[in-house]
Amino acid sequence: MSKLSGNPGKFLDQDQYRFLLETGLKIFIGGDPKLFLKSLFPKGAVGIKTNCLASFNPTFKPLADALTELLIKVAGIEENDIIIWERSNRELKNAGYKLNASSFGRRCLGTDTSGVGYSRDFYNSGKVGSLVTRILTRMVDHSINLPVLKDHSVAGLSAGMKNMFGAVNNPNKYHGNNCDPYAADINNLAPIKDKHRLTITDAARVQYDNGPGFDSRSLDYYNGLIISNDPVAADRVALQILEHLRAKNGRPPLAKVGRPVKYLDSAQKIGLGEADINRIDLRVVKVNEKGRERGVSRELF
Amino acid sequence: MDRRRFIKCVGCGAAAAAAGSNYWQDVLGGLQNACAFEFAKELSSVEARYYTKLETGGIECGLCPRHCLITDLERGYCGVRENRKDIYYTLVYGLPCALNIDPIEKKPLFHFYPGTTAFSLATAGCNVNCKCCQNWDISQSRPEQTDNIDLPPREIVDICQSRNIPTIAYTYSEPVVFYEYMYDTAELGHKHNIRSVMITGGYIESEPLTDLLGHLDAVKVDLKAIRENYYRDYVDGELKPVLDRLVQIKKSGVWLEIVYLVIPTLNDTDDEFKELARWVKTNLGSDVPVHFSRFHPQYLLRNLPPTPQKTLERAHQISRAEGLEYVYLGNLPGHPAESTYCPGCGKILIERRGYQIYQNNLKGNRCKFCNREIPGRFT
Repeated sequence: MSKLSGNPGKFLDQDQYRFLLETGLKIFIGGDPKLFLKSLFPKGAVGIKTNCLASFNPTFKPLADALTELLIKVAGIEENDIIIWERSNRELKNAGYKLNASSFGRRCLGTDTSGVGYSRDFYNSGKVGSLVTRILTRMVDHSINLPVLKDHSVAGLSAGMKNMFGAVNNPNKYHGNNCDPYAADINNLAPIKDKHRLTITDAARVQYDNGPGFDSRSLDYYNGLIISNDPVAADRVALQILEHLRAKNGRPPLAKVGRPVKYLDSAQKIGLGEADINRIDLRVVKVNEKGRERGVSRELF
Repeated sequence: MDRRRFIKCVGCGAAAAAAGSNYWQDVLGGLQNACAFEFAKELSSVEARYYTKLETGGIECGLCPRHCLITDLERGYCGVRENRKDIYYTLVYGLPCALNIDPIEKKPLFHFYPGTTAFSLATAGCNVNCKCCQNWDISQSRPEQTDNIDLPPREIVDICQSRNIPTIAYTYSEPVVFYEYMYDTAELGHKHNIRSVMITGGYIESEPLTDLLGHLDAVKVDLKAIRENYYRDYVDGELKPVLDRLVQIKKSGVWLEIVYLVIPTLNDTDDEFKELARWVKTNLGSDVPVHFSRFHPQYLLRNLPPTPQKTLERAHQISRAEGLEYVYLGNLPGHPAESTYCPGCGKILIERRGYQIYQNNLKGNRCKFCNREIPGRFT
């Protein structure tokens, strides 16, 4: 992951997000991001799933723009082969995105766009069955999960895995028992699991309590991006940050308020990724405001 | 769905149900002429009933035993009720996604004005998730994912009055989740002598049910099993509240019938049939009709075969032996157990094939052969 030094209490701009993305990717792969991205996205369309549920605290457009720029310039992906998506157009619009379902330019659309909708086939993992957005089943070949890190009133943690609730027709059926094992089940649905390439979690401005709706009194700044090809590991690191910010702001651990994040262990059990923080190859790179690296460590804080 | 398609849907469903009937021709002709339904562009924002605001923020829904705790911008398990800044809204008020004119026998209600019709409607959403659901495409969807028609209670009552449709049926998905819409429609219907029936899984809290029963004429409850583990594993609900609500409905005097969908290997043992019959007889009475219905592979249970006819006949035999007086078999068109027999003289009272009635030997609410009183609403 990459973390910006300084800049307390401010929104990151597109350049700063780009610094974080580039350095984060470089550290993550230990080599040239160009080769890595080209191998990750050899051909076909790339879907970028945002989290725009709360319009005041969504996946910020400057991050999506920085990622798009990187995919076009570094990975050589055609602009029209990039689809920023959400479950509804309304949510995207409210979060500041410009809708575009045309054959020109970067596409940006909700599942409720005319002609998109959900799959005809059921996908099933665990107790609940779902239809999956056709954006994933038909329109894209690769998926990048681009959530924003925040507290969640049921799941405890809302980051990458929770973000994929927006890919199915019936997310309300997956909220029991702190979303466990349901968050794991959703991420184990074939189109979601098979097309996942990267999770890039926006941990710049974190709502550490009273989520997932927006609460301006519960915001703090971590100024980081979590980048991983392991959706479970990405969320495990996100949880570490969330708990840290909760403690810093006088909030009890999630488990103490009836919201233990149990679904990560369930996800590990079905082979989705690594939930043990000690077994995650964690590399934290700090970047100054000019985009210069200031060292790599395992230290998140 | 465009308007033409909608007209076609309404027409086809009803026509298939009653081909060849002059009565239906009249009804259909009238409905098509009157098809001025608007497709809704927005979801509704009518404040929901039976919820409490929590001191810690968020709300607790008190409509069904699930008691969802819901924070801002989140929805309950049903997917059709949403918290917006700690006010809970129903998103489906006046927005049905399925409409049809059905024979009352299709609900099934066999002791409730046989041979009449019901204006049947449903919105998206359900408060359980039965793996055998035959209407999963609407019940397990959110209202954004269905084609909704703008149809406020007043228009439903108007249609029923102008077409001589005596009953409104809240059905197909789970009417509990569109409670406010159902309640207001039923209340208005009663003011204009239009009856209301609820076709439900019975997973509702006691207080809202009590309030609603005052405006209902009949309830059909899908009792999905008589074992708690079935409700846990195949329904994602609980049995106990459903049994409690059955007793509550019976005590209220509103007409009650029960359907039990028999699914091979899941709820089809002799012990379960006995247990069910004994529970019904003890807690509701031997005169409550029980329909054993044939399962067809659907939704998440496509790996199981249809229920063998012999299994259904076994359920029938056991229930009759346990003392239930009105036991029916459903989804077996032409089977003798579709018909009603007089427990007094054994003669056929109402002969049915599918949803059609071939003879009715009731005189008022009595057997015309032996004068025995038959429970139900017939006159």
